Amino acid sequence: MTIYQTIAQALAEGDQVKVEQSVTQALADGCQAKAILDEGLMGGMEIIGGLMEREEILIPEVIGAAEIMADVIEKKLKSNLMDEDMNPYGKAVFATVRGDIHDIGKNLVIMMLESAGFELIDLGVDVAEDRIVDAVKEHKPKLLCLSALLTTTMPMIETTIQATAESGIRDRVKILIGGAPLDEAFAREVGADGYALDASHAIKVAKDLVMASEAD
Amino acid sequence: MAENRNRNFYRLPYISNTDIRQIHDASMDLLENMGVAFHSADACELFKRNGFKVEGQTVFFKEAAVSAALENAPSHFALRARNADHSVDIGQDALTVAPGYGAPYLITGDGERRKGTLDDYQNFCKLIQGSASIDINGYLMIEPTDVPARTAHLDMMLANIVLCDKPFMSSAASGACAEDCIKMLTILFGELGEIGKSPVSMALINARSPMQYAKEMAEALMVYAKYRQVCLVSSLIMAASSGPVNLPGVIALQNAEVLAGITLAQTVNPGTPVIYGGASAPIDMRTGGVAIGAPEVSQIIAATAQLARYYRLPSRSGGCLTDANFPDAQAGAESAISLHSAVMAGINFILHACGILGSYLAMSYEKFVIDEEIIKIVKKSARPLDITPETIDLQTIKDVGIGGHYITQPKTRQNCWTEFYMPTLMRRRSYTKWYGMGKNRIDETARKEVRRRLKEVDSMPIDTAIASELRQYVNQAKANHT
Repeated sequence: MTIYQTIAQALAEGDQVKVEQSVTQALADGCQAKAILDEGLMGGMEIIGGLMEREEILIPEVIGAAEIMADVIEKKLKSNLMDEDMNPYGKAVFATVRGDIHDIGKNLVIMMLESAGFELIDLGVDVAEDRIVDAVKEHKPKLLCLSALLTTTMPMIETTIQATAESGIRDRVKILIGGAPLDEAFAREVGADGYALDASHAIKVAKDLVMASEAD
Repeated sequence: MAENRNRNFYRLPYISNTDIRQIHDASMDLLENMGVAFHSADACELFKRNGFKVEGQTVFFKEAAVSAALENAPSHFALRARNADHSVDIGQDALTVAPGYGAPYLITGDGERRKGTLDDYQNFCKLIQGSASIDINGYLMIEPTDVPARTAHLDMMLANIVLCDKPFMSSAASGACAEDCIKMLTILFGELGEIGKSPVSMALINARSPMQYAKEMAEALMVYAKYRQVCLVSSLIMAASSGPVNLPGVIALQNAEVLAGITLAQTVNPGTPVIYGGASAPIDMRTGGVAIGAPEVSQIIAATAQLARYYRLPSRSGGCLTDANFPDAQAGAESAISLHSAVMAGINFILHACGILGSYLAMSYEKFVIDEEIIKIVKKSARPLDITPETIDLQTIKDVGIGGHYITQPKTRQNCWTEFYMPTLMRRRSYTKWYGMGKNRIDETARKEVRRRLKEVDSMPIDTAIASELRQYVNQAKANHT
């Protein structure tokens, strides 16, 4: 097992002590911080992705691993990394749409995407469409994630997407939507780029959308 | 008894003590004045020798004689398995769960019905061995109609012993069958005295309602009592058919029948471990058949549990009971309700906890694994909450604060696999994922699970000398029976 594989495995198992020791060892052996991040820590998150697909890992464990990763980056790697190294998938802006104050699900997805290598800008709940448009202009994210829990606020997703079109920024960002009453068909209908049915699925869809936008 | 082996569940009282007393008095009236017919000369002779009034085959019981018999019956005991880790406690607050019993048919995953085979019987032994829900192996889970009926008990006993290392039940088909079983138990557990020290098997002795015991049942009971094995004495009154239409009357009649059987066991051998059983159910007035998924069954179960406690005896009822002919929504609802009733009522020994369909007439592999999940769910729901400052943990609630998220708390992570019941069949996937994975109904998921389980299980290691002695006994006994 290479040192990167050891780091990846320890992270997937949520073993903070072993992750830190192995990262220290790798640095002492002359490994590059970026390689430790990409092959070691992100490798661990890849393993976790597989476990999630097979339903062999639980949400709190995924978040726990993400926290270990963030902690190790902060303590041991940050000084040797560029910003774009730390968030290989770039930025994502998150909001619960106007009229809706539910955020437990949205916050869960935020934690999952952070763990997967996104930099998150969370606009909170009950966010009006003009604020969302402004945030996209300001942060230039690759991904805009919109959440709604109520059937009564679902239409605000479409309103928000229309607002991005009217202000000319619709093609600068991929839009991912989620929330209990939503589905794939609704996403197509309102012109979103993707729909995530739960927190773990969100990681896969978010990555696919960003990859697709880079291929565009 | 071992600590926390199968103990520690919430139980509810149901009937007032005054009402229990009314039932008791009514049963005593029946026992003393109407009597119970024992269609066995040996049983009648034994009762006579012990001072009971016997007229023809009808035995009359004075309250004092019944009370004296009950005094001798233990309130609880351990039932030993050949693998000591699988021994169970029976009685007091313990809960012991056993599979379906007596089904002649198997209903397949396609809803077709066929006769049971020895192969099916062996499959159920294997499923029970691998089961995290079933505490003890039964007997006659399904009738093996492809082997001669006269010697089928030998094949079933051998399967019980070789394929599973949990405690198991034995044949009560007749006195002679019981003797065969005792011999096989003796081979398994060593010399004859050994099995009498604490019981290693149990037999289901059923009254023939109203107020009779068949010759075969009475004599099987006498054999098991002689060797101090557990006599599970039970009655299945069909209310409005073999018993009255009014439930309190059914309960008084059931009580009288069961107490008569228990008195016989204590008369044969004072101190014989017994279980106080009750499996009565109404008939369906449209068909005349027994309706085991009926809500009245839950009422009878509650009374049975309380009467057993009144007599300080372990209790028995049915578990996942249904009249449905397929593991469908009716089967699930009826099964869950009757099992939950039994657990909450405080029943100690639950027979028919797994696999039964069609009013006891059939077993289903798919229903078996679904019922396993229902058992786990009901057991979890009956666990008392441990309420302490640590389990309330005010500090964490304050730390997370208003609008915070608990899923990131280390405590959530530490307990995520263990704190909540984790279902295996009854998954909570989203509609989209469920649809994408093939829109499986639970019976379809169960079908896959059965295939996996049967592939996984191998026979349990058993001392080869004992196994070969048992096989030799079976072959010899088969030759003698023909």
